[in-house]
Amino acid sequence: MRDVVVLGGGLLGWSAAAALRRKIPALRVTVIALPPPPDALAERIGSTLPSIVEFHRDIGMSDGDALLRANCGFRLGTEFQHWNAELPSYVHAYDRYGQPLGTASFHNHWVRHAQLGSTPPFDQYSPAAAMARGGRFVLPDTDPASPFGHFEYGLALDIAAYPQMMRAYAQHLGAIERRGGFKGVRLDASTGFIAALALDDGQEIKADLFIDCSGPRALLRGALDHEFEDWSRWLPCDRLLLADAAPVAQPSPLDRAVAHDAGWRWAAQSLGRTSHGYAYASGELSDDKAARTLRGYAGADPQAPIALRQGRRPQPWLRNCVALGDAATMVEPLEWTNLHLAHSAIDRLVAMMPDRDCAPVELWDYNRQCAAETTRVRDFLALHYAASHRPEHFWRRMRDTALPDSLAHTMQLFAERGRLPFYEDETFARDSWLAVLLGQGIIPRRTDPLIDTVPLAESDRAMMTMRDGIARIVPTLPTHADFLGNVRRQAAR
Amino acid sequence: MLARRVVIVGGGTAGWMTAAALTKLLPGRCEVHLVESEAIGIVGVGEATLPHIRAFNERLGIDEADFMASTRATFKLGIEFVDWGRIGDTYIHPFGTFGPGGGEVDFHQFWLRLKQQGIAVPDLDRFSMACTMGRMNRFALPSRDPRKLDSTFGYAYQFDATLYAPYLRTIAERMGARRTEGRIVTVHRDGETGDVTSVQLESGEKIEGDLFVDCSGFVSLLLDKTLGEPFEDWSKWLLNDRATAMPCHTAGAVTPYTGVIAMPYGWRWRIPLQHRTGNGYVYSSQFLSDEDAATALIAAVEGEPIAEPRVLRFKAGRRRRSWVRNCVGVGLASGFLEPLESTSIYLIQAAITALLELFPEKAISPLDRDEFNRLIDLEYDRIRDFLILHYHATERADTPYWDYVRTMGIPDTLAEKMDLFRRRGRVVKYREGVFLDASWVAVYLGQRVIPEGHDLRADAPSAESLVAGMQKLAADIHGLSDAMEDHGAYLSRYCPMKDAA
Repeated sequence: MRDVVVLGGGLLGWSAAAALRRKIPALRVTVIALPPPPDALAERIGSTLPSIVEFHRDIGMSDGDALLRANCGFRLGTEFQHWNAELPSYVHAYDRYGQPLGTASFHNHWVRHAQLGSTPPFDQYSPAAAMARGGRFVLPDTDPASPFGHFEYGLALDIAAYPQMMRAYAQHLGAIERRGGFKGVRLDASTGFIAALALDDGQEIKADLFIDCSGPRALLRGALDHEFEDWSRWLPCDRLLLADAAPVAQPSPLDRAVAHDAGWRWAAQSLGRTSHGYAYASGELSDDKAARTLRGYAGADPQAPIALRQGRRPQPWLRNCVALGDAATMVEPLEWTNLHLAHSAIDRLVAMMPDRDCAPVELWDYNRQCAAETTRVRDFLALHYAASHRPEHFWRRMRDTALPDSLAHTMQLFAERGRLPFYEDETFARDSWLAVLLGQGIIPRRTDPLIDTVPLAESDRAMMTMRDGIARIVPTLPTHADFLGNVRRQAAR
Repeated sequence: MLARRVVIVGGGTAGWMTAAALTKLLPGRCEVHLVESEAIGIVGVGEATLPHIRAFNERLGIDEADFMASTRATFKLGIEFVDWGRIGDTYIHPFGTFGPGGGEVDFHQFWLRLKQQGIAVPDLDRFSMACTMGRMNRFALPSRDPRKLDSTFGYAYQFDATLYAPYLRTIAERMGARRTEGRIVTVHRDGETGDVTSVQLESGEKIEGDLFVDCSGFVSLLLDKTLGEPFEDWSKWLLNDRATAMPCHTAGAVTPYTGVIAMPYGWRWRIPLQHRTGNGYVYSSQFLSDEDAATALIAAVEGEPIAEPRVLRFKAGRRRRSWVRNCVGVGLASGFLEPLESTSIYLIQAAITALLELFPEKAISPLDRDEFNRLIDLEYDRIRDFLILHYHATERADTPYWDYVRTMGIPDTLAEKMDLFRRRGRVVKYREGVFLDASWVAVYLGQRVIPEGHDLRADAPSAESLVAGMQKLAADIHGLSDAMEDHGAYLSRYCPMKDAA
């Protein structure tokens, strides 16, 4: 493997190029710098999962680079409002919920109390969730004994500045930029491989491997086949509106995802702007009405609606072409997995880089892992709908839809006895599943028998101590804005 | 309400492990009643185990030195395979990593890269603590600090399985387990539901229960004889169906590893305990008679035999479901895989862990049962592929037996894994599963499945820095091992057996 061409000059294309150059310096990497289309969500959603921090570290960048050069902030989680109309909002933070107590896992203690009547919400046992609600931020405590030592954080990207930083970094690592418009691909008649891609200036670009970061249209990968697995039964939103508003002085490290009549709406505050969005089902809600609603919340005009077809290519990698980001998988931004899935695919691609022949067995393993990962992301997103509790037609329909087997298995086993079955290649940790399941009101019928060894009064006391400890510390921590200000001041010195 | 009355059918390793775990970990939730017959006896030959057993013992609050002294145990750092890829070949499958562990690129990739560049590097086992300690016959407990090189190995035990069950029996009975001696003559079932309601003994005594655990061994009294659960036969891939076992006096070293020596029609184990060495020849009756197997075993063992060879009969495979109605199979009653990789006790433990985690109510939910069966299937299926690999990855053609296994069709799931390794040394990754990357790498390379390429990320460092790093690593591993005590000396200081045999 020698020559790699990346089609797409947005943050994704440049991220792929940077990772390839950094990890496999022998590769020649050329980026065809097409501007990303407006419907490429991996390019457009600034809220990211903690995996981005790992991705940066892997390619030799620090949080500081992202913060200082690309105006990024931190994010601790998402607050979900009105997904269950009868319950208060809940926070999904990337944290441990509760501390170990006896041999059964913590949530069993919470469930035991919940079964007996009302108990403080589950998210009160997550330090990061409490910090996020309070608008505060510190980095995880390096002392493993500290309750504030187990959370992870994502970044709130400035999606205007970030791609520029990544481009500069990839070029610094030796990636080559090629400008020009895309005209088409030429396939090798005997192998079906992509022989070259043609640019509108008449030039042909040849390569051993073509990486498609061109967005949902998948200009390269789409030239090989059109197979697509549709997920719209479980993920019903097929429209997306985005609107940018002015930044606020104290950006929250907590995004908000609010359920509406026929979809959900979000607001994410970053240093450069406040991003608003609305995902909805066009069959239930007109674009105009959705735009009016979003304008009302955002105080800014939404951009043209984006049509969204949720699902995936069963084989993101075929022959010598691998699709990344929206070219491979399209999902709504709920839980912010768009860029995460792309990063994860880049890691996998780098780790599995084959020879020029792109042997089917190597592609098989890549596609198998992608499938396992995206299946569980789909399940996790679909869970938000399946576990919802709202009166509107849109929501009732989702509750009555037959679920994919793996999600049905998860929900049934959890509802019965609070157990989460193991699946390979999970994106979201067990505590994330718990935050959503319990936050949306799925209370298991039974608890783990191993909990018996801890008497009720003892777990009651321990749980109160945990809540109090968190509630006492949070007000003493700096606000997110103050923390970012300190980082900048220290860097300036 | 929980299934209060648990009846365990059969003592032995599976029965008493189950009884001890249930009484210790679910106190007050269930009453455990174990039925066994001394007339039936147990299979328990000298047992080699996997490191997982330590977690099981720990959960039961067992003191390691006391347990080892009572079962006349030795330490086990891995398994030495002799004559598998070719006659004359030998390698150790270690418990632990190759290289210092951690890092995003597996150590063996750097090693492969240098080899493929034509640069001389020491054998891979020189970069494994477990292999090096084993070869030098040394032992020390691993460090708990993951940054240290001597934290990169694990260990298990080789012990007398006929002593493990009584040891656990003491714990279980202390925790309140009841035991009844007697042979079961009838199993009674509910006319409507088909669930098992009681077992009746020769004496006429009836023992009733809500949940029955079938630990009856190969007989599979409940799952097979009573409920007729079909058996999934894997003997086309794992054709051994006999073992002849015979202990002898130890004449060689008390090695901190199990020996697994390929034979003309199967393989032979060597398990050194404190007081004797266990031996056995596992073979296929299609190719070898019991008499010839016994003769070959007697000729091969190192010391004077302590008993006559004893023949066991079995078939590789598993019950389609391990938990049917209100009966849970644990151990041989639910399936059998030959002890090539010491998985028998591990499979018992996996079933017990799953049962604890999915312990049912009085009215058993199909959800609990299905999840249990899903977990057990996963364990069996992954071990199955790993075992088949040992037979298929060979160049041996010296007998019709080896011709068959070398050329037989293998499950697709294994064929894909082998192809992938041949390309560039990649191991299909699972987060769960008993054998992780290093195990697969050891067997592949040890049996001459040699990759054509390597992970391209391994090309990033310069050859000089890699070679220097590897030399230092091998020297450090050698130095650490060399400073350790002799295995035998460690045993006699740490856990000398309680009464000499």
